[in-house]
Amino acid sequence: MIRNQHFARVVTLCCCLLSVAVTAWAGTRQLQDQAGRSVTVPEHPRRVIALIPSLTEIVFALGRGDLLVGATQFAKEPPAAAELPRVGSYLHLDIERIVALRPDLCLASRDGNPEHMIRRIEQLGIPVFALDPRTLPEISDSVTLLGELLDAQPQATVINRDMAAKMAAVASRVQAAGKRPGVFFQIDASPLVSAGRGTFIDGLITGAGGRNLAGERTSYPRFSWEEILALQPEVVIIASMAGGYSEEELKAQWARWPDLPAVKNGRVHVVDASLFDRPVPRLADGLVALAELLHPEAGQ
Amino acid sequence: MTGTRPMRQRPAVVTLLLAFLLTGVLLASLLTGSSGVNVADILDALLAWGDSSTPAGAIVWRIRLPRALLAAAVGATLSLGGLVFQARLRNALAEPYILGISGGAAVGAILAMFAGLAMFPGVALASFLSSLLVMALVLLLSRGRATGRSESLLLAGVMLNAFCSACIMFLLSLSQSTQVHHILFWLMGDLSLAEPGQLWLFPPLFFCFFLILIHARPMNLLLTGEESAAALGLHLRRVTWVLLGVTSLMVSLVVSQAGLVGFVGLVVPHFFRLCCGPDHRVLVPACILGGGSYLVLCDLLARSLPAGGEMPVGVITAMIGAPLFIIMLWRSRS
Repeated sequence: MIRNQHFARVVTLCCCLLSVAVTAWAGTRQLQDQAGRSVTVPEHPRRVIALIPSLTEIVFALGRGDLLVGATQFAKEPPAAAELPRVGSYLHLDIERIVALRPDLCLASRDGNPEHMIRRIEQLGIPVFALDPRTLPEISDSVTLLGELLDAQPQATVINRDMAAKMAAVASRVQAAGKRPGVFFQIDASPLVSAGRGTFIDGLITGAGGRNLAGERTSYPRFSWEEILALQPEVVIIASMAGGYSEEELKAQWARWPDLPAVKNGRVHVVDASLFDRPVPRLADGLVALAELLHPEAGQ
Repeated sequence: MTGTRPMRQRPAVVTLLLAFLLTGVLLASLLTGSSGVNVADILDALLAWGDSSTPAGAIVWRIRLPRALLAAAVGATLSLGGLVFQARLRNALAEPYILGISGGAAVGAILAMFAGLAMFPGVALASFLSSLLVMALVLLLSRGRATGRSESLLLAGVMLNAFCSACIMFLLSLSQSTQVHHILFWLMGDLSLAEPGQLWLFPPLFFCFFLILIHARPMNLLLTGEESAAALGLHLRRVTWVLLGVTSLMVSLVVSQAGLVGFVGLVVPHFFRLCCGPDHRVLVPACILGGGSYLVLCDLLARSLPAGGEMPVGVITAMIGAPLFIIMLWRSRS
C-alpha cells in the first residue's frame, strides 16, 4: 500500500515536471544577446521591463510600448513611458518591485546596468537580455535584435532604413566638405567635461566630419580652461542645460576668450541635449544636426 | 540577598523584551516593502513556508527575508563592536570605524570596484582583507606601549582613517560618473544587494558574539581602569587581544557585505547604557538584539519611504539616531 502510494507520487511528480518542461520548451527560444550570452527568452514576451531609459525608448519606437510593465527613473521619452511603474534607477534597481511586476523578460544595458544586479534578477528566475548600443551602427543592431525579440521586425526595418538614410546624407555632406574642424563637445560645465574616445558622442563627432579634441582621452574627461586654450577648438558644441546653466550663461563662459577660433568665428553653439543624451535611434537626428553645425557650407 | 535579585534577573528580562522587539521588526519588514504587494498575498506567501515560486513568495523569501536577516546581523555586529571598543578604550567616542576598519574596507572595496571585480566575492573579499590589514597596522603601531595604550591605539586609528579618507577622495576624483554612484551607495551603507547566499555570515558572527558574551565580566572590570582591573586579577593583554581581535574580525566581515553603515556602533551602545546602566552582562545581549532591531527598522524605512527608489540605509541610521541620542542625553542630564 505504502509502496503504491510512493509509486503514484513519483509518477505524479514526473508528470508535473514533464508538463512544466514541455510548456517551457514550447514557449521559449534561445537567443544570443549583445553580451555574448545565450539567453532563454519567451517566444512571445508579454510583460517586459526595460532596465535603462534608452531601451524603454527603443521599445516604444518599435511600437511595442504595450508590452512594457515597468521602467526606470528618468525614462520619460516618449511621454507614455512616464506613466509606467518605476523600478528604481538604472544604477540602483529595486529588485523587489521588479519581481512584483511579474515580468517574463528584462532588457538590460551591458554598459549601464551593474552586473551584480543583473545576476540577482536572473537568480530570481527572470530572463535578462543584454543589449549594448553605443554607436549608430550598434543602435541599428540593437533595433534589429529587439525587433526579433518583441515580434516587431517590420517596424525595426523602417527605423533602420530611416537611420541609414540620415547617416548616408551626412556622409555625403562630410565628403563634400573635405576638411575636419577641431570640435570641443562640452557636456558639463564647472567642471568642464567632454566626451572622450569610445563614447557615442565621439562617434557622432567623427561621423559628422569633425575631429574630437577630447579624443585623446577615454570616457568622460574633465578639462581646465588652460587645456582648452591650448586645444584651440574651431567649433564648440555645448549640450543645453550643462551644469544647470542657461544658454546665455554657458556662452558667456566662452566669450571670455575672444581669441579662441570658435569664439572669434561665432561657432559656439548650444544644442538640444536630448538629441545627444541617449543611444537611441533619434541619435541619427543628432548626427544630422551636428553635421549641419560643423559643415554649414556643404549643405547649400 | 533580596537586594541582588533584581540585578540577577535584569539581563534575562532585557534580553527577552528585546528578542520580542527583534521578532516584531523582522515580521514587519517581511510585510512591508517597495513593491506594494498587498498584505494578504504576503501572508499567503508566509504561510506557504519557504515556497518562492509565486512572485509574492519570491519577494518574501528571496528578497525581504535575506535582507532583513542581513540587516539584523549588521546592526547587531556594529552595536556590539561599538560597545566593546568603548569599554576597552574607555572612550565614549570609540566605535569600530574609528580604528580604521571603515577607511581600510572602503579603500579595498573601491579599488576592487575600479578593477571591475564582481560585488561577491571580489569587492567583499578585497574590503575584508584591506580592513584587516589596516586594523593589524593600528594594533602593531600601538604595540609595546604599556602606558596610555588606549590613547596610542585611538591616535593610530584616527590617523590611518584620515589617510584612508584621503585615498578615497583621490579615487573618487579619478572615477567615472556611473562608478561614483555605486561607490557612494556603498560608502553610505547598502543592504539592497542582500541575497540568501550571504547567510553564511551567521555562524562565524554567532561565534564572535559568544566570545564577547563570555567576556562581559572582564569588560565590567575594565570600567574600573586598566591598573585596578589588572589588580583585580584580569589578564589585561589577553583580554585586549581577544576583544579587539574578535571585534575587528566580525566588523570587517559585515562591512565587506553591507558597506559602511554609519552611526549604529556609536548610538546604540550609548542608548542602552543610558537605559540599563553600565553592566555588560546586560549590555552585550541588549546591543546584539537592540542593534539588530534598530538596523532592521532603519532599513525598512530606507526601502519604503522614498517614492523614486530606495536610499542608503546609512542615511536613515544617522537621521534617526542622532536626534534620538541628543534627546536621551538631554533627559539624562535633567
